[in-house]
Amino acid sequence: MPTLANYLLASGILFAIGLGGVMLRRSIIVIFMSLEMMLSAANLSLVAFSRYGLVNGHQNFNAQILVFFIITVAAAEVAVGLAIIVSLYRARQTTHVEDLDTLKF
Amino acid sequence: MSPLLLLILLPLIASLFIAAGANARRTALGAALINLLAAIVLFFRYDLHKGGWQFVSQWHVLPKLGVNLILGADGLSLTMLLLAALVTFSALLVAPKIEKQEGLYYISLLFISAGVIGAFASIDVLFLYGFHELALIPTFLLIGIWGSGDRQAAAWKATIYLGTASFVLLIGLVALYLSMPPDARSFDLRQMHDLAANTNWSPARWIYILLIVGFGTLVSLFPFHSWAAPAYASAPAPAAMLHAGVLKKFGLYGLIRIALQFFPKEITEAVNPFLIILLIGNIGYIGYVTVAQKRLDWTVGYSSVMHMGYIFLGLAAFNVLGVNGAALLMFAHGLSVAAAFALCGEIRQRTGTLDYCELGGLAKSVPVLGLLFGFVTMASVGLPGFANFAGEILVFFGAALSFYAHGDLIMLIAIVIGVWGVVISAIYMLRAYRNIFWGPIAARWESLTDIAPTARYSVILLLIPLMIAGFYPQFILKMVGTVLH
Amino acid sequence: MNISMIAWITLLVPLIAAALIVLVTRTSKPLASGLAILSALVAFVGAWTLFIAKTHGDFLGFNWINVAIDLDHHFTIPLGLLIDPLSRTMLVIVATIAPLVFIYSLGYMKEEEGYWRYFAGLALFLFSMLGIVLADNLVMMFIFWELVGVSSYILIGHYFRKNSAADAAKQAFLVNRIGDFGFMLGILFIWLATGDISFASLNPEAGALQGQPVMLAIGVVLIFCGTVGKSAQFPLHVWLPNSMEGPTPVSSLLHAATMVAAGVYLLARIFPLLAASPQASEIVLWIGAITALGAGFLAIGQDDIKGILAYSTISQLGYMVAGAGLAVSAALPMFHLFTHAFFKCLLFLSAGSVILGMHHEQDIWKMGGLKNKMPLTFLAYLAGMLALSGCPGLSGSFSKDLIMAHAWADHRAIFWVLVVGAALTPFYMARQASVVFLGSPRSDHAKHAHESPMVMVLPLLLLAIPSIAAGWGFVKNIFFPEALGSLEEAGHLPWFVEWIFISAFVVGIALAFAIYRNPAKDPLRIPLLANRFYIDAFYDWAVATIQGGFARLCSFIDRWFINGILVQGSATAIWFLGFCLRFLQVGNIQAYAFFFGAGVIALIYVLLTVH
Repeated sequence: MPTLANYLLASGILFAIGLGGVMLRRSIIVIFMSLEMMLSAANLSLVAFSRYGLVNGHQNFNAQILVFFIITVAAAEVAVGLAIIVSLYRARQTTHVEDLDTLKF
Repeated sequence: MSPLLLLILLPLIASLFIAAGANARRTALGAALINLLAAIVLFFRYDLHKGGWQFVSQWHVLPKLGVNLILGADGLSLTMLLLAALVTFSALLVAPKIEKQEGLYYISLLFISAGVIGAFASIDVLFLYGFHELALIPTFLLIGIWGSGDRQAAAWKATIYLGTASFVLLIGLVALYLSMPPDARSFDLRQMHDLAANTNWSPARWIYILLIVGFGTLVSLFPFHSWAAPAYASAPAPAAMLHAGVLKKFGLYGLIRIALQFFPKEITEAVNPFLIILLIGNIGYIGYVTVAQKRLDWTVGYSSVMHMGYIFLGLAAFNVLGVNGAALLMFAHGLSVAAAFALCGEIRQRTGTLDYCELGGLAKSVPVLGLLFGFVTMASVGLPGFANFAGEILVFFGAALSFYAHGDLIMLIAIVIGVWGVVISAIYMLRAYRNIFWGPIAARWESLTDIAPTARYSVILLLIPLMIAGFYPQFILKMVGTVLH
Repeated sequence: MNISMIAWITLLVPLIAAALIVLVTRTSKPLASGLAILSALVAFVGAWTLFIAKTHGDFLGFNWINVAIDLDHHFTIPLGLLIDPLSRTMLVIVATIAPLVFIYSLGYMKEEEGYWRYFAGLALFLFSMLGIVLADNLVMMFIFWELVGVSSYILIGHYFRKNSAADAAKQAFLVNRIGDFGFMLGILFIWLATGDISFASLNPEAGALQGQPVMLAIGVVLIFCGTVGKSAQFPLHVWLPNSMEGPTPVSSLLHAATMVAAGVYLLARIFPLLAASPQASEIVLWIGAITALGAGFLAIGQDDIKGILAYSTISQLGYMVAGAGLAVSAALPMFHLFTHAFFKCLLFLSAGSVILGMHHEQDIWKMGGLKNKMPLTFLAYLAGMLALSGCPGLSGSFSKDLIMAHAWADHRAIFWVLVVGAALTPFYMARQASVVFLGSPRSDHAKHAHESPMVMVLPLLLLAIPSIAAGWGFVKNIFFPEALGSLEEAGHLPWFVEWIFISAFVVGIALAFAIYRNPAKDPLRIPLLANRFYIDAFYDWAVATIQGGFARLCSFIDRWFINGILVQGSATAIWFLGFCLRFLQVGNIQAYAFFFGAGVIALIYVLLTVH
């Protein structure tokens, strides 16, 4: 039987992969996808806690509600973010993050 | 309608009219004239027998926190309000023809006036502070836009320095507030007095030091004086008059009202020697810095810093004589330094320079200006007949009494240097007068026009109360005496 | 009209006149001078009324300052008039000489400009001087002391277009202020020690002064500083010769007869304290004697007709101060003040007559033979000169010899100093008389000189009368009643003391006439004397170097240290902090993300581990 630890481990690995993607990839789209992956990892751990963190014998449904909040926020963020990326591409003709350094000292 | 609220609102309403397009000079002068008449009426209608706060009115703002707009006046406030109204009207009269943005110029002057009147009329400490802040930015504009010489640097330095000092002051005031017991917290001065009198409320020493540094910097206490001389030298005459004459006195007023009232004797006596050392710096050190100046605007600017030392001496004496002398000297100095800056501006307007080497013999071409400047010179030198002498002599007696009572050597040194300061001020003022007005006249100054009637009356308006208080100091002393005992 | 009202009118009318002259009469010469002379005459009548009525009292005007210290005690500085024998006599001196000088000014200043300024200044001076005389407490006297100083400033600076006059006025005010520094400290000291500042209650045994000779001496010496300044004693004497830049009537009234005598009057007022302090009296005595002798020497080396008289005044003031220092009675110095006022004023006014006749030439070596051109002036001058030199029978000899007689009795060293001075006086006066009036004219101005108008000569002749008679017994008794102190001889004097005085007079005059018999230029040229013992040069150097240097040092510290390092420095430090922090903006989004993440982890760590 998978225990809480297993799910948390999976969530952690997912989060780490996503973090690695945010830190190390050069393309903005990929960074964005990694960001989504981190959010999913958080969702996974929340669902796991909901299933295993029992309160009075019942599941803790607060965590599942929070998952919906996160999904909504992620969707909104993707919409805004992609719009920003598109206009950024139009302005700078590049999606490489290293090329975006006008606000440097 | 509270008369004090009227005094504050009139300049603000006049500013609105000016912003809407009315004739700037006439509107401003009208508002200032009404303010002056109101201040005079209030001054004489104060009931001396009853004493205490009168003309009080109150509006709730944040009652739970103890922040309310409370306006009221007692003897000391009314004296300061009279000073403010006199100098405002006089400053507006002396203002020259402004080419660029005349409206903003007069609005700035009116805002300074409203701020300072509000500060003197407030019984609520937070509003006292707030009204003073109202006067800070207009000063920046006046110096920076219409000033002369290195005006931008002077404007920045003065504003940031004073802003920092105000911030320190705010910390001190809030700390004072927080040191009150939680159920009796209020910014109302009257409640603070009650608390000090009836309970054993004793705020900490660091708060006292913060208040002294905060208020002291606003008054150009040594060593926090570097903003003053450049600011006054670069400022246009009306701004310098209002700032040196009135706005500076706010710091002293705050010290008398707040810092000197609520702290226990041990703290004030422990800090006093340091205060005395600082004021010796004001009188002795700044006095000689003034002697080294070669231009009139710098001389008058530094001299106003020096004279603050005398007022501090009166406060440091911590007895009735000293504090009354300090209050009288505040009134006297406000008028005399305002007159000095007015005439300074007149000279600068005519000759374009205030350098002693370039001027000389002006008494031939501008005799009335010379005569008026002679009066102002004699006033700031502490000649009897002007209120400055009365204030100074009371301060000396108060300081002597304090020395007698406590026997600390530093007070004796302060008294000796203070009396010597009278010689120092004679040195630089007489040198200024001799170098500007006496001696042979250079050809290029032969055809200057003498001082115009409006400017003449403006300076006379300042000199007359100065001489009245000089001949009959009780006129002011009986007002401030109700407060300071 | 009661007596106190007369006293107040006497005091205040000149002030009102001065104010009116300034406000109203700037364009009308006769009105200006008329108002001034009228006020002087009112003061004259008032003063003599008070004198004849033998008024005695302390008339309170009002409490100028009245501060409640607590429920029972008030701190007051009253303005009141103290009329006693001392002030009555001094009042008569001031109020008699003033109208004469004012009327003389009508002639002297007729062609001058700044007429209204001159008469306003004179009226203000009269008010201030009367205030000093009538003051009933130390602070009130200090107030009028300062006012007299500013009148002097205005009047010395009358010809302010000249650099020398402008500088002289400034110097007079400043040097007096230095004396006033000591005076003010003395007032505070006496107040702290005795709790009282009024003259009537001066008591050497009061309060903390009791049994404390050092304290008493300090208090008296501090107040004496005021005298050193105002009465031009060494070392604050340098302003008086330079004050001759003012018009001659001013020199006669202020800087000979009355204002400079105010210092001596102050000593007379605080006489109870002075007499009770041997240390202080000793200091006063020596300063007076040194001044008397030193100034006598310097008078020999002067070539300006007013300069000789100026140093003579300083010297005679030295006699008065020494007389006060002998601590015999208040009347001793006052007697010499009394006689000196008349003959010195006379001498200055006759010098003014000469100057006017010489078209404002003041160098005695351009004069000569004026006795024939200006006979009346010469007669008046002669009376004054003989009185000053101590000619037996004239006023000056009585007062000066009395001081020296007391010096013989009490303090032999001082006696010899004063006697040498007494020999110098006839010498320089006869020198002046010989060079100016005798012999033959040395320049065109002298050849064409003529007598001055009657409006100037009449005051001269009138002043000659008291110059001759003011020392005589019956006059002395009227003006110096017993109440003022004893003016009797000091015990038994050996017979030769009197002869020492007479021979000093004779030898001085004879020597001068012998040397200065119609010379073309000065046969006795001593640079040390002509350069005023180099004291003036030393002071100029000291002010420029020491004071100027210290001021520049302070200015330097203020500009570079306090302003530069502390203020600009703190501003620069903040700027530098900002500059350093700027480098965190690397421009790389991922770096920012990294910082953000690291910060979050650190925050979580802190929150979890810190309690």
